[in-house]
Amino acid sequence: MSEFAWVLKGRCYKLGHDVWHAGGVVPNWLITGRHFDAKDIIPHLFEETDPGFHTRCKPGDIIVTGRNFGMGPKMNGYIAMQALGLGLVCETMPFLAYRAAIGCGVRVMTDCVNVTDMCETGDELEVNFRDGFFINHTRDFRREYPPLPDALMEIVELGGNAGWLQQWQTRRAAASVS
Amino acid sequence: MGMTAVEKVLAAKSGRSSVKPGDVVSPDPDYIMIHDGVVMGAKRELDALGISRLAAPDKVLMVTDHDVIYGSPRAAERGAFNRKAAAQWGVKNFFDVGRGGHGHIFPMESGLLLPGMFYFDNDRHATNAGAIGAFGFRMGSEISRVLATGTNWVMVPKTVQLTLKGQLKPGVHARDVGFHFAAMLKQEKLTADLDYRVLEYAGDLDQFDLASRAALCSTPTEIRAYGVFVPPSKAILELAKSRAQRPFIPVYSDVDARYDANLTLDISQLEPQVSLPGSVENAVNVSEVEGTVIDHAFIGSCGSGMWEDMTAAAAILKGRRLAPNVRLFIAPGTEATNRRLAAEGLLGIFIEAGAVMLPPGCGPCNDAVIGPVHSGEVSISTATNNNAGRFGARDAKLYLGSPATVAASAVAGKIADARKMN
Repeated sequence: MSEFAWVLKGRCYKLGHDVWHAGGVVPNWLITGRHFDAKDIIPHLFEETDPGFHTRCKPGDIIVTGRNFGMGPKMNGYIAMQALGLGLVCETMPFLAYRAAIGCGVRVMTDCVNVTDMCETGDELEVNFRDGFFINHTRDFRREYPPLPDALMEIVELGGNAGWLQQWQTRRAAASVS
Repeated sequence: MGMTAVEKVLAAKSGRSSVKPGDVVSPDPDYIMIHDGVVMGAKRELDALGISRLAAPDKVLMVTDHDVIYGSPRAAERGAFNRKAAAQWGVKNFFDVGRGGHGHIFPMESGLLLPGMFYFDNDRHATNAGAIGAFGFRMGSEISRVLATGTNWVMVPKTVQLTLKGQLKPGVHARDVGFHFAAMLKQEKLTADLDYRVLEYAGDLDQFDLASRAALCSTPTEIRAYGVFVPPSKAILELAKSRAQRPFIPVYSDVDARYDANLTLDISQLEPQVSLPGSVENAVNVSEVEGTVIDHAFIGSCGSGMWEDMTAAAAILKGRRLAPNVRLFIAPGTEATNRRLAAEGLLGIFIEAGAVMLPPGCGPCNDAVIGPVHSGEVSISTATNNNAGRFGARDAKLYLGSPATVAASAVAGKIADARKMN
């Protein structure tokens, strides 16, 4: 577990306040159509606000948002973010959006007060999601924010709920054999 | 520092002496509820992982309430799948078609769900548990983890206290209180963030019976409350004792408990409310929309499907006929209520009035699988919400009201004040 990349270094992709999951993160048809396969979702991530985003982002890039990111407790967009290796730093998220992001294995921090004032799209960022450090190398400053709670780190390390449950089952099966 | 009711329950179920908001715990639930719409997904997910044995099959309540009469071949296929899943999982508490009714009502009616209890549910309307003084927490698709392991992580939520002052006037219903409360928040006449909070009622609560308490739980859920709690009155405790299938210990907040916000709402002058299309928060006095012609009406849902809701509707419909332009669907919450409606003559009142009876369960409130509206139609109902598309066509106009308001409107053919019919 210690080798999991809790620190991401990449470019900032900044969004504003009150971004709905449906429309703002992924098109609504992906949600109502119950598309949960990352390869189906990735081409449509932020499609309605930034077409072609998936062709420009790189693993390690950080999505930085204002208040109320991801309204509507949906998971489709987080599946794509996890698969693309993106991090997520929000001023606030509805709790069930935060839970959905964790459940999909996204490296996420919320309650990061005024974080959108501290960066612009394209800035070089370094974020430690385990310890709660946010560093903007372009503007040369650093902030501390509430990290992911310890009790939830294992879920993210294992890629989300499915990975966590897979490991739980593997351990249980091994225990029953021994 | 004292604890709120939800903090006490989560502490007790997690084997801790105390918890505070933000703590992450894994409570041992009294029950694990899953409804007919999501069994297939959970079963396939667990099967793919090789998990065929549930952690606590005796705690599982499997409920058929979302699509009860199979309006499509796909629904029938799902029903068959669910029956097979219940057998394979060894779920004995399987309340299939015609066996229980709405999962957020019959456990309270039948003495399964009791004050002080905690359970996991896939569905967000588990908040109804607050009517009896219990807590139900929504897990969504993570219900599969609960089924497999017996628990899941829960971050202890903050609690907002809402003190109701005064007695409701005759003809004003608990649903009206919820609609009005939501409007007060939207209009910023009250200030609180309900996201992932428990809304705990206080004040003049003795006037509310169990059905009214379920109604009080409904609207806060639509404006993001994660739990609702109505401290059990003496009458509620007596009711629970009379039906209890096992011992229970009611839980109340400590006097020095810490709340995220304390709100007060005077309900003594409240008028019947109607929520305008688009959101429960768009509530206005019924007088502002009286006369709006309707096509469709529905009485039921987890917020308004109990016996007392049915009697409120029957009081209006008795001896009257629906307007020729209106179709009215009624879905009693439970099989027990349905039987009582037949035994006490209310079923006859509904049918004589021209209403169409639906099986106990969610009715059109679940994705309009039954009794939907067409494009451009106007509906008034007691559904949990009136978001665009709730009853099918996204451009239909969906109003909300209390059971009495809906019944009166169905008779008048237009939105009406039930007090003028008494």
